Formats: sequence, structure tokens, C-alpha cells
Amino acid sequence: MAVKDHLRTLRLAAWLGWQIESNWARPLIFLTYSFIRPIAATLILVIMYLIVKQDVASEPALFSYVYLGATFYMFVSSVVFGITYVIHADREHYQTLRNIYISPISLYVYLIGRATGKVLLAALAVIISLTFGILVLGLPFDLLLVDWPLFLLTMVLGLACLIALGLALAGISLLTAKHSTSINEGVGGLVYLLCGAVFPITVLPAWGQAIGLTIPVTYWLELVRRSLYPGEGIELLGGLQDFTDGTILLFLLVSTVAFAALSLVLFRSADRVARQRGKLDMITTY
Amino acid sequence: MSDWALNLRAGMARAYARTVGATREPSWVVFDVLLPLLGVAAYIYYYRALGASPAFEGFVVLGGAMTAFWLNVLWGMAAQLYWEREVGNLQLFMVAPMSRMALLAGMALGGLFTSAVRALSTLVLGTLIFQVHMSVEDPLALAAVFSLTMLAVYGMGMVLSSLFLMYGRDAWNISNLMQEPVYLVSGFYFPVRELGLGVSALATLIPVTLGLDAMRQLLFGAASQGLLPVWLEASMLAVQAAAFFLLARFSLDRMEQRGRREGRLTLRWQ
Amino acid sequence: MAPAIEVRSLSRVFSGRGNTLALDNVDLTVEEGELFGLLGPNGAGKTTLIKILCTLLLPSSGTASVLGHDVDADAKQIRKRINMVSGGEISGYGLLTIRENLWMFTQFYGVPGKVARERIDSLLEAFGLQDKADAKLRTVSTGQRQKMNIIRGFATDPELIFLDEPTLGLDVSTSIAIRNYLREWVRERSGRTMLLTTHYMREAEELCDRVAIIDRGRIVAVDTPAGLKRRVGSGSSFLIETTPFDPEPMRSLPGMRGMTARPADGHMNIRMVLDDESVIADVISSIVSSGARVIGLSKNEPTLEDAFMHLVGRGLE
Repeated sequence: MAVKDHLRTLRLAAWLGWQIESNWARPLIFLTYSFIRPIAATLILVIMYLIVKQDVASEPALFSYVYLGATFYMFVSSVVFGITYVIHADREHYQTLRNIYISPISLYVYLIGRATGKVLLAALAVIISLTFGILVLGLPFDLLLVDWPLFLLTMVLGLACLIALGLALAGISLLTAKHSTSINEGVGGLVYLLCGAVFPITVLPAWGQAIGLTIPVTYWLELVRRSLYPGEGIELLGGLQDFTDGTILLFLLVSTVAFAALSLVLFRSADRVARQRGKLDMITTY
Repeated sequence: MSDWALNLRAGMARAYARTVGATREPSWVVFDVLLPLLGVAAYIYYYRALGASPAFEGFVVLGGAMTAFWLNVLWGMAAQLYWEREVGNLQLFMVAPMSRMALLAGMALGGLFTSAVRALSTLVLGTLIFQVHMSVEDPLALAAVFSLTMLAVYGMGMVLSSLFLMYGRDAWNISNLMQEPVYLVSGFYFPVRELGLGVSALATLIPVTLGLDAMRQLLFGAASQGLLPVWLEASMLAVQAAAFFLLARFSLDRMEQRGRREGRLTLRWQ
Repeated sequence: MAPAIEVRSLSRVFSGRGNTLALDNVDLTVEEGELFGLLGPNGAGKTTLIKILCTLLLPSSGTASVLGHDVDADAKQIRKRINMVSGGEISGYGLLTIRENLWMFTQFYGVPGKVARERIDSLLEAFGLQDKADAKLRTVSTGQRQKMNIIRGFATDPELIFLDEPTLGLDVSTSIAIRNYLREWVRERSGRTMLLTTHYMREAEELCDRVAIIDRGRIVAVDTPAGLKRRVGSGSSFLIETTPFDPEPMRSLPGMRGMTARPADGHMNIRMVLDDESVIADVISSIVSSGARVIGLSKNEPTLEDAFMHLVGRGLE
């Protein structure tokens, strides 16, 4: 299929995704809902931090490590679960998955497009959380000291990696309706636990660290922290202090490409099995 | 048949349906036992990375276990009648003669059972894996506080359930809204007193705050920095339980009548 | 003895974007022991009326009583003695078996365990669903699910049952089996009453002791199926087969009471009810002037469909 057709699918799906995301009777309340939950989750960590450490100022690098990780993890839940939820919603709620499936567009591209709305909302939540952190909690931050090229490159690769992960899970969702939320919860929990989302992976047992180092999210979060933190010392916390930014960027690139390839293979085989087993228009109402 | 017998049968049948439905497929063991452990593990490693005292790891295990009940109240109680309407069951419930309280009590009982399995496994596995130390010096008091907490928390679930009956998609959002923020203000992972007296006092309006605080005191002693004496927290829970049940009854009647007037008991996709 | 259903000056308005008058000053009486049909097109107000009678919805004005109890004040008394089934409904819990779902609903009516089990078994057999009794609901076909819901309605042994389009979407043989059961159920024991809504003419004609025709929220006529057909008058019901053309302009011909047109095998079958036989000449000249050709013409005994067209001015579909 021509790139032009994929782009059209992407644009159309993004439009549809945004219509669904923003189609709320009271948008202000919806936005509040969208932000309060992730910010409350971050605040739990902040309170835990303050209980143990008493203040932010004494160890600014550690606080930034925690806060930036927790904030950028919002992308993981929004993007990864946003994509899988499209399968669930289109199949069971709107019952349009079958129509989209038999149309000539690529379901894979359609799902990426539908996730755009989620990415935008997540980006907004991240900005709100960062602003709150800087203004209220004293999170060290300086726009002039941000390594913008590294940050932007990291975000592009990081989002690509999250989209790939989301698509792989969407493939699995094609096969199971009942467990799709639990699978999301499980994968989200594993990523949170093993990728140094809020604590350095060095506190994990050796096998946990080894798994964490194979997942691109670990490198993505490390680079986000390094590019945004204005001072020095944050690179010493995550267990990747032996590697330069460039090397980690390379790790991120390689692991993201591998993840994307794996996700494509997984999605295609799940798609095939779903057709074999007649799962594409399954409605559970369990 | 007396109304009591009818309501007892109805409540038991609903509890049976919920328990059997939730445990019929073996995969529930994986999802209900292993998934909550991931969250508990993350918070424990977080405390370790910060260099917190081991008592905090115990708070996380206890809080992690109690999330099972809170999640069940939000999703299995509060949002349940809205979901029942979506799949067409609500109108059948409403046409039936049993008391709506019996229906909700049945849902609560079934949910309590399935959540208890999730909570207990989190507690046992969390304690074993992370070598958490807790001592039960007064098992009777602990059992009493736990029971009162459950009565109050599920009573609150019944009130929410009746309120959510009238709200469409917002019900889902409100449940979402009450997940992490309640973990935060109710002190699921740390002594609630740390939030300051003002916030803690407000948070006691949510029964799980009082229940957690009292159980922390009974399991971890002085390290738990209790907010109020256990006996007082237990008494407050008892009052809350009674108040929520009365409120739920009143609210269900009002909401049903409003639903009948506005024709909203059978509407879907609002 | 009070009638099973008594409705007086009943109206129901749904507010929202522009108020919708779903029921407009309805009067209706259904006697105990009757199998009563409500016949009308989609959106006529049938389901709204059933919801009010089942205590799911309150009237905007007027009164309705069921088995001698007011639907507003005595809802609980009514609920103990009635049940309802909607065609095409997918309710029930997918993870429970058909038997468990049925058992659960009987318990909501306080049916003792042993009685419930025996009744469920005999109904499963009557509906040919015993093989699927222990299958999870989510694994069975739509038709089987619908049968389960019909059983659910009868398993509580109600005095009055409301069936809203019970055979909607079911295949012919299943529909026939269900109609037979419904007829049997009412006749089997005195005092049982059934209110059935349908838009299948044959169903109403075959089953119902009396039929109310409802259109745009108003009851247009209430009579036995034979009585309704008699209203058409003999010699005014015609079937004309023509070559294809647009028959819509014929609706406004003077003397045309109602008409349905269906294409079939490259032809057009037009069924019509006229004021009297003489109008047929105008009909034929209208067809010819449209450039079509009349292939066949027959005069029929009026059916319930003709009665409906006669009263409402159009067909059901």
C-alpha cells in the first residue's frame, strides 16, 4: 500500500480518535478527570519521598530522578493502553472493528492514528505535572539548560517504542477480550517495576536488572532525565553511569527497532490467529 | 413469601452469581494473585531506594492488600449498576420485586469474597517475598476493625452505586477519579498523619482511611504513627457503616423514582 | 373483578432536545385471561407503554393499573406478580451457565429452590434448550440466548407477562415453537394474562384474542383480529402486480386508504385497501400513465395487514 494511503489512514484515524477523546458533554470535567488521576499517582510518590527524605532540596538529583520518571511514565499508560483500548472499544462498544478490518486500510496504521489523541492528552498531563513540580515542589528545571536535541530525539524514539509496545498488546487483545485490561495492567506493572520508572533498577535483584536492560523504556527514561535535569549527578543514580548519552541513545534506537519488529510480527500473527478463531467480532458481555 | 425470605434469596443469588462468575476461569488466579504484587513490589523497592525503615514496607503490603477491596468497591459496586444497564440487566432487576438493597448487598458479599482472596494472597505473598514483619497481638481487635472497615467501605460502595445509577459515562470517570486520589489521601502506602492533621481529618470521611490507620496500629505498633486511638477509629467506622447503609437505602429509592420519572433505567450509551 | 390492565388518559412525554410525545392520551383495558396484542410500527409507543405497565417508567399524566394496583403507588405489589421479556435482549451474565442465569432470576422473585429447579428443567425442555443448560451463556447463539430470556420470563410463574417483540430476529421454526408455547401458557390455567407487542401481523393474527393498533402514540382501534378485518369491508382489498415504477404518487389518489409496495422478481407487488371497488379504475390509469404495465390484478379477503393499512393509512414496514 502506498505511503500516501497510510498517511491518509493515519490522518483519518487521528481525527476520529480526537473526536472520541474530546466528545464529552463537559470537556472541563473530562480534562480534570484525565489529569487528576496521574497527578495523584505522582503525588503519592512525592509524599512517600518527603516522609523519608524530609525535603526536596537536600538531594535534588534523587528527587528529580523520581519526579521526572513518574511524570514521563504517564506516556506509558496513555499510549500503550490507549492503543489496546481501541481494539476493545471498537470491537465491543462501537462494534465497528469488523467494518474497519474488512476495509482496505491497514489496521496497524489505523491504531497508531487512533492513539494520537491519547498522546496529546498525555503530553498535556506531563506539562501540567512538570509545571506543578517546578512551581510547587521546587523541582530543579531550567529551560536554557535543557539538552533540547537529545530530549527531542529521545521523545521521538521513546514514543515510537511505546507505540510498538501498544501495538503488540493490541495484537494480544485481538485474541482475548476478557483479559485485555488485566494484561495491560500486568505489562504496565512490569514496565513500572523493571524499567526504573521511579527508582533505580540497581535496587532490583540481578535478574530483574537484566530484564530491565532489555526493555527500551529503561533507556528512554534515563535519557529524558539526563536531558531535562539542569545539574549534575542524575546520571549516577540509574545504574547506567558507565554509558555516555550517545551510547544510551544507540541502545534506545536498537532496542526500539527490535521492539517495533517484534511488535509487527506479533501483531500479524495475532491478527491471523484471530481470523482463524473468529475473534474479530467477538462480543463478550461477560 | 415474606419480604425477608425474598430478599435473602435474592441477595444470596446475586452473591453466588458474582463469586462464580469471577472465579470460573482459572486465569483469575494469575490476574488476581500476581498482578497486585507488581504494584506492591514497585512501592517496596521505591522505599528501599529512598532508604526508608522496614516498617514502611509493611505499610505497603497492608495497603496493597486493601486496594483489592477499594478497587472492588469502585468498579464492582459503584460503577456496577451503570454497567448492568449497558448490558440490559438493570431493567430486569428493576422489574423484580426484591429490595434493591438486597441486590446491592449480594453484590457486596460476592465482591467481598473474591476481593478477600486477592487481598489475602497479596498479604501472604508480599510478607513472604519481602520479609515483612508484622505482629498480631490482638487478633480480636484486628478482626473487629477489619469487619467494621468492610461494612463501612461496602456501605459507601452502595451509596455510590445508587448515585452512579443516574450518571452515564461520568460514572466511569468518577470511579477513575476516586482510584489514585483516594490511595493518596487515605494513606494506602504511608501513615495518613503524614498528610497533616487537616487533610487527614477530611480523609477520615472515607472509611478506608480509618480502617487502614487502625489496622496499621494493630499490626505495626508505634511505627504506624496512628491518627486517632483504635477504639475511636472503630467507633467512627461503626457510625459510618450505619450512616452509609441508611443513606444508600434512601438514595436508591430516590434514584429509582427519578430514573422511572426520567426514563433513564433502560437508556444505554449515554 | 378488576381488569388485568386498565389504562386511562395515559400520556408520556420524553424531554430532551424537543419534547417527544411517546404516548398520547391512551385508554386501554385488558381483561384477566386475555392474550392481548399491541400492534404498531417501530416508534409507535408499544415499548413505552410496556415499560410503564412493568413499573420501569412513570406516566407523565393519566393513570395505569396492573392487576388492580397503581403503577406509581404500588409498584412493589405489581412486581411480585408480573414478568417481562424483550425480544432481541442479550441480558444475563456470560460467564454463568444458562441454568445458573435462570436460577438467579427466579431467586429475585423468591421462588423456592426446588420449585425453581423443576420449573427451569421443564421450561428448558419445552423450548428445546436442555442440551445447552450447562453451557456458559456467552458461548451460545443469539437465538438460544433469546430463548433463555423467554424462559426467564415464565420461570417465575407470573400472573401477567409482558412480551415485547418476543420472536424478533428468530428463525421461522423457533418462532412457531414459541408461539405455540405462548398460546398454551395462557390457555393452560385460568387467570393468566399476556400482553404481547409485535409488528408481525401473522403473530398477532394467530395468537391474540384482541389486538390494539397503536400508531404515533395513539390507540387507533381495539378489536378481535376478525373484528378488525371486518372493518375493511369486502371488495376493497386488492393485490396488483405491475412492471417496475414509482408507486408513491398513488398514495394521494382519492379513495386510497393505504398501500404497500414490494419489488419481487423484476415486478412490483402492490397491496392496497380502497374506499370501494370503483377506485380501482383510477389506480389502473395512474399505473398506466406512469408508463408501467399491469401484469395481474386480484381481489383478496382482507387480512390484518389490510386492516392496519385501512386504519393507519400505511403498512407496517
